[in-house]
Amino acid sequence: MRPFRAWRELLQPGDYAVMAAGIALCVYAGFNLWRGGAPDGVIVRAGGNIFAETDLSRARRIAVPGPLGTTVIEIEPGRARVAADPGPRQYCVRQGWLTHAGAVAICAPNEVSLMLTGRGGDFDSLSY
Amino acid sequence: MRVKGLRETGSPHERRSGSETETKPAPCRCAFALLLLCCTLLLAGCGREQVFHRESYVFGTRVDIAVYGGDRERADAAMAAVLYEFDRLHRAYHAWEPSELTALNDALARGESREVSPELAAMLRDAQQIAARCDELFDPALGALIELWGFHTDTFAPVEPDPARLAALKAAQPRMSDLVIDGQRIASRNPAVRIDLGGYAKGYALDRAAAILREQGIRDALLNIGGNILALGSKGGQPWRIGIQHPRHPMPLATMPVYDGEATGTSGDYQRYFEIDGVRYAHLIDPRTGEPAHATQALTVLVTPRPNAGVLSDAASKPAYLAGDGWREQTRRFAIDHALRVAADGRIEVTRALRARLAFPSPPADITVLD
Repeated sequence: MRPFRAWRELLQPGDYAVMAAGIALCVYAGFNLWRGGAPDGVIVRAGGNIFAETDLSRARRIAVPGPLGTTVIEIEPGRARVAADPGPRQYCVRQGWLTHAGAVAICAPNEVSLMLTGRGGDFDSLSY
Repeated sequence: MRVKGLRETGSPHERRSGSETETKPAPCRCAFALLLLCCTLLLAGCGREQVFHRESYVFGTRVDIAVYGGDRERADAAMAAVLYEFDRLHRAYHAWEPSELTALNDALARGESREVSPELAAMLRDAQQIAARCDELFDPALGALIELWGFHTDTFAPVEPDPARLAALKAAQPRMSDLVIDGQRIASRNPAVRIDLGGYAKGYALDRAAAILREQGIRDALLNIGGNILALGSKGGQPWRIGIQHPRHPMPLATMPVYDGEATGTSGDYQRYFEIDGVRYAHLIDPRTGEPAHATQALTVLVTPRPNAGVLSDAASKPAYLAGDGWREQTRRFAIDHALRVAADGRIEVTRALRARLAFPSPPADITVLD
């Protein structure tokens, strides 16, 4: 106990502040940088061909032409969705925001697909 | 003489290389090993083969073909041949656009028999046998019911069918066993029979595609037609991995490896459906009630390698889906040991064999394992 007390006497209030800041940084990093299963990119295909391949870092909208009209893909940091589609059943729109790597939205009538890529999406194809 | 000459040139060489190894100093040997290691790693880099993808739209759904390794031209040619075949099947057996199948349906409705192609006759015979194995719960003869529920159209509006017509069709009980197949001549004992191969054709197309790829010398590929998947070979020694879609969230419920010759299919209420007053009507019609079934959200089967694995992955998930709580008995009838059901309340039931393969990204709260 005695050596520890001697050692503690050397610590200044600023040292405690530094230690607290270090712990806070670790917790913050854990919550914000741990990205298990999080997507890092998006692939948009039209008629089977890659129409756009981009990251998910900033918000944008992509208009994709298809046989029925224009499908609108909306991207926000970390997620993407089909915002509008001319298909009759709207399944791909109703799927809402895709947030996991490997998730796919398919607008079959307009032949547009949206897929999130990333490390969590450790599979080659999706059974649906 | 010639033999002797060869021996004479061979032996000094062997002697020389032997003595070199013995006298080589240690640092030099290390450098040599390092060089060898570098070369091996470099070669491994050269040999890293890639996956060639092709996406297309056939059968009103997405087709995704992946071929591993080899050169791009060969993969492209094989994938093009597969898509060409899919186009042919799509045109020949379309359920509501004029096709060989609609011509047959028109003849059956008039009470006439009709000569069909050997391929269609074989498909109908096979579908009839599958239907007989599951008490006709798999019933491609109820095309008229599917049309009545509004699923035979490209421009789709939620409709509740006319009750009188629904009751009449239910009473008529169109079944595959009503078909009389004599060689290539098809007749029906029941004029209400309308063939719809929607639960069969995608699986058949998978088996055709596997045959075409093998003919073209492609050994490693993954085929996906609207969620029905068949695997050939592997991805460079590693098994192909697939995800099983969650029926209510846009993410995979689980992932699993699939091995050479295996096929998997899912019947669900989330790919083709409509909602009226909060009730979901899916395209899978129960022949016993004439109405879409409501007991299951999704049912996935994995068919181990066997002839027509693709067909079974498509067809055998239907009766299990419609059977509700009796799904396991239905899968047993097709000798399927790998199956997973998400019940209407979100409960997950899975066979022991399939559970051993599954990896869950987020472990489900309510899961039951069955034998």
